[in-house]
Amino acid sequence: MELAAGRVMVQERHTFRHIDPILLAAAIGLAVIGLFAIYSATHQSLAAVHLDPGRFVKRQLTFLALGAVVLMLALSFDYRLMKVYAGMIYVSSLVLLVLVRTPLGTSVKGAQRWFELFGFQLAPSEIAKLALIAMLAAFLSELRGDLTLRDVFRTAGLAAIPAFLVFLQPDLGSSIVFVAILVGMLVVAGARARYLGLLALTAAVLIVAGFQVGLVREYQIERLQAFLDPTSVSQDALHNREQAEIAIGSGGLTGVGFLKGSQTNLDFVPEQHTDFVFTVVGEEFGFAGALVLLGLYGVLLWRAFRVALLSRDPFGTYLAAGIASMFALQMFVNVGMNVGIMPITGIPLPFVSYGGSSLLLNLASVGLLLNVHMRRFA
Amino acid sequence: MGLRVKVLAALVLVMFATLTTRLWFLQVLASEQYKAEAKDNAVRLIEVPAQRGVIKDANGTFLVQNRGSVVLTINRQELGDQTERVLLDLSELLDISADELGARLDDERYYVFSPIPVATDIPKRVAYYIEEHPKSFPGVDVQPVPVRRYPLGSVASHVLGYLGQISQDQLKDPGFAEYSPGDVIGVSGIEGVYERYLAGTRGLVKYRVNSIGENLGLIGRQRPVAGDDVWLTIDAGTQELAEESLKAGIQHARTLVESDSGYLKANAGAAIVLDPQTGAIEAMASYPTFDPSLFTRGFSQKEFDRRFGAGHSYPLLNRAIQGQYPPGSTYKPFVASSALQRDIVTTGGSYGCPPYWTAPYEESDPDAVQYVFNNWTTANLGYMNLATALARSCDTVFYPMGYRYWDLFYVNGDEQSHGVVSHEPLQHDLGSFGFGSQTRVDLPFEQDGRVPDAGWKQAIHDQYPESFPEGQWFPGDFILMTIGQGDTLVTPLQLATAYGALENDGKECVPHVLNRVVAPDDTVVREYQENCRKRVRVDERYVRYVRDALTGTLTGSGTAAAAFAGFPFGDVWVAGKTGTAEVPPKQDYSWFAAMTAAGGQEHVVVVLVEQGGHGATTAAPIARHIIEGLYGLDFSAFTDVEGTD
Repeated sequence: MELAAGRVMVQERHTFRHIDPILLAAAIGLAVIGLFAIYSATHQSLAAVHLDPGRFVKRQLTFLALGAVVLMLALSFDYRLMKVYAGMIYVSSLVLLVLVRTPLGTSVKGAQRWFELFGFQLAPSEIAKLALIAMLAAFLSELRGDLTLRDVFRTAGLAAIPAFLVFLQPDLGSSIVFVAILVGMLVVAGARARYLGLLALTAAVLIVAGFQVGLVREYQIERLQAFLDPTSVSQDALHNREQAEIAIGSGGLTGVGFLKGSQTNLDFVPEQHTDFVFTVVGEEFGFAGALVLLGLYGVLLWRAFRVALLSRDPFGTYLAAGIASMFALQMFVNVGMNVGIMPITGIPLPFVSYGGSSLLLNLASVGLLLNVHMRRFA
Repeated sequence: MGLRVKVLAALVLVMFATLTTRLWFLQVLASEQYKAEAKDNAVRLIEVPAQRGVIKDANGTFLVQNRGSVVLTINRQELGDQTERVLLDLSELLDISADELGARLDDERYYVFSPIPVATDIPKRVAYYIEEHPKSFPGVDVQPVPVRRYPLGSVASHVLGYLGQISQDQLKDPGFAEYSPGDVIGVSGIEGVYERYLAGTRGLVKYRVNSIGENLGLIGRQRPVAGDDVWLTIDAGTQELAEESLKAGIQHARTLVESDSGYLKANAGAAIVLDPQTGAIEAMASYPTFDPSLFTRGFSQKEFDRRFGAGHSYPLLNRAIQGQYPPGSTYKPFVASSALQRDIVTTGGSYGCPPYWTAPYEESDPDAVQYVFNNWTTANLGYMNLATALARSCDTVFYPMGYRYWDLFYVNGDEQSHGVVSHEPLQHDLGSFGFGSQTRVDLPFEQDGRVPDAGWKQAIHDQYPESFPEGQWFPGDFILMTIGQGDTLVTPLQLATAYGALENDGKECVPHVLNRVVAPDDTVVREYQENCRKRVRVDERYVRYVRDALTGTLTGSGTAAAAFAGFPFGDVWVAGKTGTAEVPPKQDYSWFAAMTAAGGQEHVVVVLVEQGGHGATTAAPIARHIIEGLYGLDFSAFTDVEGTD
């Protein structure tokens, strides 16, 4: 990292020309779809209690504006600096994850997940995702030669700590994202398939043990059961699944039209502006709309992988690969639970779901991708 | 490394393929089935009202309970295009016009999808019929709903208050965020003040119904949490005693003729019994009263006005805290306390009680106006000490005191220091007894009363020059204040609280009706913390002097001696003061304030009767009746008492 200040200045002058407009456009496209879907999901219920029907959309717009600033910040410095500070960032994020469990954090619906800050909720688990990606990228890029089993487990250990901490909140969804980041980055690092198998086995044993000692909450078991055996669980969990499927299915090929979804308007789908926002797209814009949405994710991930391939150093590659893994898994699990092929885990749909912390984290991630991309010649 | 990135990309591609396949199935292949399901999808929310807490008296006697009433609700959304037919059918069953039903349905306070109550206490027969024919009555529901029941009828109705639908203003208030349109909420009295405790948390049953209203299964359920019970300091027996005494006394008063205004109207009144040691209100009666069970159903504005309007002397008004009246001579003990404190009079002094008193004027000025103030009697009562002046309520002993407040502290309208910090010492001392500000009793809509001063007089004149033509402070304002007239106003509760302080050597307690709040599991959620302190700014020995002087009111030549003739003073210590407040053009308002003690039991009793004539005529016998009841004495009959102040 012996960056002579003078050299950096000269290069920085040209880097902004190398920004990736397609990547940026895909992210913005997703966020715009999100604004429409959030409005559709919330305007009636808000109006019913005499509140501004645009309340949630306006808040999301505020987050977007804030996110634009965060994005600019994330591409303003040379991403390689992150490698230097990765350890510090990682440890800080762990400290935040511990602090949120103290009275400093806010409890909502039985889960201690947020810091209340200036009227906004800040979820440290979101920060921890990016921190973990930076940490693993720094760690893996320093390894020389083929990945040994020991390396694999050391890497896994780094991911296991935040995964366990958010699991305690309890936030199973975020834990799964940490695991996905780990697996994606290990694949790119060239971990052998049998090492990954061994890792999976170890994880399975630990999780079963977790069940035994009661670390897993009742509702998490219930949701998993609802997925595995729809007849065995509470009416509530079953209802969520059913209603989401009805909403999406009734959208048909072209959808029932914006603001016209009866499932959406009658509030049949719970958490519709957050975890189940995809049902709005499915019902009101149909199969065509859903494909457009998935297509935008396709473009986003294609450009992210391209950044991984173009990066001038392994750290950049790992960074991009980690971010791509995070986006891909969140998209897959979220849409999967909306269409009834994945358990309900409370993972938001990146860029689309209502929620400030996740939107800021996703835009910061896009900023980092652009950062790696535009400094590929440096 | 490039290859491995591509492996990861391939994995992601598999994800997309999986999702697209599933979407193809849901939205293309199976879409028709889901469309049909969406169409049949209707949710029905049934709110399960929480059992509202009950209200009990100090001994646990039920003052307010709950009972079930069958309520018919209609869900507009489910009614659809059958509205007209359903309303016509219901109109026949319920014997309510379809127009009226339609009007009740057309209520913007409700969500489109929430059921609206349109009829209460409907007959069982009708309820069964509707339940047996769900297809004829889509969206119509009958269910038992708890409503308030008052085992003692109208007893303590002003204190208890009543329930009503939440108002638009309240719905906009973030403090009422958990309430929805149509919710029933405590509107006045204890029901209003302790709504938070009484209300509990409503439950919710949510189930899916198809387009013909068939239940397709429970979606969710949230059990209601019962409200807490409120125990009052009110004693049901004392309350009934006070109400009955007040009513009997008022009815007796209406048989009396006083002076030239004919029969006494005695249209309204109030009576309070409180414990001066704690501020606990044992009874608070306001006449006329109302039947709170009427509020378990709705009113039209017209019916409301007819029942509770001027024609019935506004029975919803709790006159004990909302009525403001000139205190008349019941004010004199407090004026005397202040005058002693300010060295305007002394306990050893002797004061003349002529039939009238002329305010000092400039004798050399031939144009000077002479202001003459009359005593309540035309007899010259001679010289007397302050105690006798109180007992006989001699106005002409008090008028000069008022002038002295002017003379000492207000020369030519300017204040003179005399080493006194406050320039309005009389108002200051009266304020320390609690006059002119709310007692902070835990009941809503309490009035402030009024202790006028120069600043107030100027301000009110500037604001309402027609009603208050004079803005300047004159000696006459002080002079009238000494006999509780002029612009002075008190609420009966303020007076009771002040007499409590008099009995309690100057220690005054915030009056209250809450005793404790008890959760459904019998744990005490809140216990009322007594709030008593030395507020009165008059030396204790003067307070005691005035208090003891007031025993003279009831005996010998005291103003209430006739009203208390034959009372066993050896068994029960009583001191008191009559008051006759002039409220022209109305007949005089009758006051009596009493302090009692026996067997370690102390009570303050204050009685007011609007247009009840002299204090000794109407209020004093009522107070006597209440005191007899309180101490288990034989009741004496209401007899005609000669009109003394």
